Amino acid sequence: MVKSIRKRKKYTAHNQKSAYLFIAPSMVILSVFVFIPLIASFVISITDMNIFMKDVHFTGIQNFIRLFSDDRVINATFNSLYFTLLEVPLQVGLALLLTVSLAKNNRYCKLLRSVYYLPFVCSMTAIGIVWSMLLDPNMGLFAYWLKSVGVETVSFLKDPQLAMPTVIAVTAWKGFGYTLTLLAAAVLNISQSLYEAAQMDGAGSFQKFIHITVPGIWPTISFCIVTTTIGAMQMFDQAYVMTQGGPLNKTETVVQYIYDRGFQTAPYDLGYASAISVYLFVIVAVMTFVLRKVILNRGEDADA
Amino acid sequence: MHKTRRKVRLGEAAGYILTLLIALTVIVPILWLLVSSFKTDVGVIKFPPRFFPEEWTLHQYLYVGDSIPVFEMTKNTVIFAGGVTVISLLFDSMAGYAFARMHFKGSKLLFSIILLTMMVPFQIIMTPLYIEVYKFNLLDTYLGLILPRATSAFGIYMMSSFFAGLPKSLEESGRIDGMSEFRIFRSIMLPLCKPALVSLGIYHFMNNWNDLLYPLMLTSSQSKRTLSAGLAVLVGNKVIKYGPTLAAAMISLTPLLLLYIFCQKYFIEGIAASGMKE
Repeated sequence: MVKSIRKRKKYTAHNQKSAYLFIAPSMVILSVFVFIPLIASFVISITDMNIFMKDVHFTGIQNFIRLFSDDRVINATFNSLYFTLLEVPLQVGLALLLTVSLAKNNRYCKLLRSVYYLPFVCSMTAIGIVWSMLLDPNMGLFAYWLKSVGVETVSFLKDPQLAMPTVIAVTAWKGFGYTLTLLAAAVLNISQSLYEAAQMDGAGSFQKFIHITVPGIWPTISFCIVTTTIGAMQMFDQAYVMTQGGPLNKTETVVQYIYDRGFQTAPYDLGYASAISVYLFVIVAVMTFVLRKVILNRGEDADA
Repeated sequence: MHKTRRKVRLGEAAGYILTLLIALTVIVPILWLLVSSFKTDVGVIKFPPRFFPEEWTLHQYLYVGDSIPVFEMTKNTVIFAGGVTVISLLFDSMAGYAFARMHFKGSKLLFSIILLTMMVPFQIIMTPLYIEVYKFNLLDTYLGLILPRATSAFGIYMMSSFFAGLPKSLEESGRIDGMSEFRIFRSIMLPLCKPALVSLGIYHFMNNWNDLLYPLMLTSSQSKRTLSAGLAVLVGNKVIKYGPTLAAAMISLTPLLLLYIFCQKYFIEGIAASGMKE
């Protein structure tokens, strides 16, 4: 008896040691490349560090004062919000609408869902190249088709008013199949008996959608809204490939401006770039918090 | 009764038409890229533009290397995305296994810290990360690209939930046989989680293959650029012709498209798992 307890103790100690060995590689990597940078980001944001990293001084909140009077920060913030406020409802709304026809497990629905997912697999670089060429006003196929049905075409990606809506449309085009896949999986989990009961009460498709489907998958919808919003606020790839932030900085987003300050334009002001990162981090955190409050409350109302 | 049935049928017909139209808008641009990469130099910029090539040619693929270092970029992307996938699968599953199946001091605290890091957006750590990689002298190297991605909080979380669902008695037989903990992990537990490993592997491979900002920031020379970063830079500089750009874009998409066509199930499972992330 005593012997077996001692044996177990010895075994547990041994087990503990190997457990630490198992997690060691991941813990080291996460510490060095996530934890430390996370803290460092806040520290660097109150310095005047540049890419040469010489003569670094603490400057207090100077970077933040500068940030709030920097027209390009204000412009980029506006652009990121504009992008997010239109792209998220477009992508999630379209996906939600499509669940009405496609949240079934027959062959047609499965096939279409996997077709819609295709653009999500592709890189934004390739997608951006394709759409830029198709919409090119001089030789683009889509621009030509539009012209031949009488739509006066302009240069979608070079027109200050149209560039951002075009980038929004391409982004939603690329992402809605992914959202649809998540939503359809949730719809398929709703108990069929709910729909049958509603049918007997004489509910139409629209009523079933509003009163059963939407409340039934509300947690998944809110997950999609929150994650798509976070992603949209960090938009970079689309604008980098299709518009380079232009025309007239009309599509320059916050992340793009961070990249531009820190890595593209001399004097590679890392301190200032970090300050803008912190600023964006706070905006996204507040938005996430508010969204979740609002959405979760609404979900409870819908349940009641 | 009659009326509602007709209404339902009309609604269904509208549903089919709408979903098919959307399917067309999804397929046409991708198909256009595929067929246009077989056009001649003249065919690509011909006006009025045609969807299909008038003359099919392999010219763009044969000469793409003259203007775009596509071979080198593909090699870099394979090493980067492949390296990250393989190493991170090993580290993620090791850590996930320990958190799910082993008892040790501090495991709960450490695990919740890891879950918290899932919410750290890349843009907040990108500047310090750049400085670190620079200080380690790893800028513009494969190691510098792979190392920061060699594990992921999401992967650890996903693997640990998978391991937690396996029956309890599995390790016991190995322990009775006197196997080392690593051998138990390697030869008993790991083979059981093949589906989870494939899903997670595809998730890592796709994200890193397509990533733009991260490889863009950590590479400075053309010789280490990945397909998606290298092409984005070349297109931005507007120095290359349309034909080779189309061929290179198609080359960059082909591996993932093939993977998607043959392993679709795992793509969907991977995202179903990432849907649980909250």
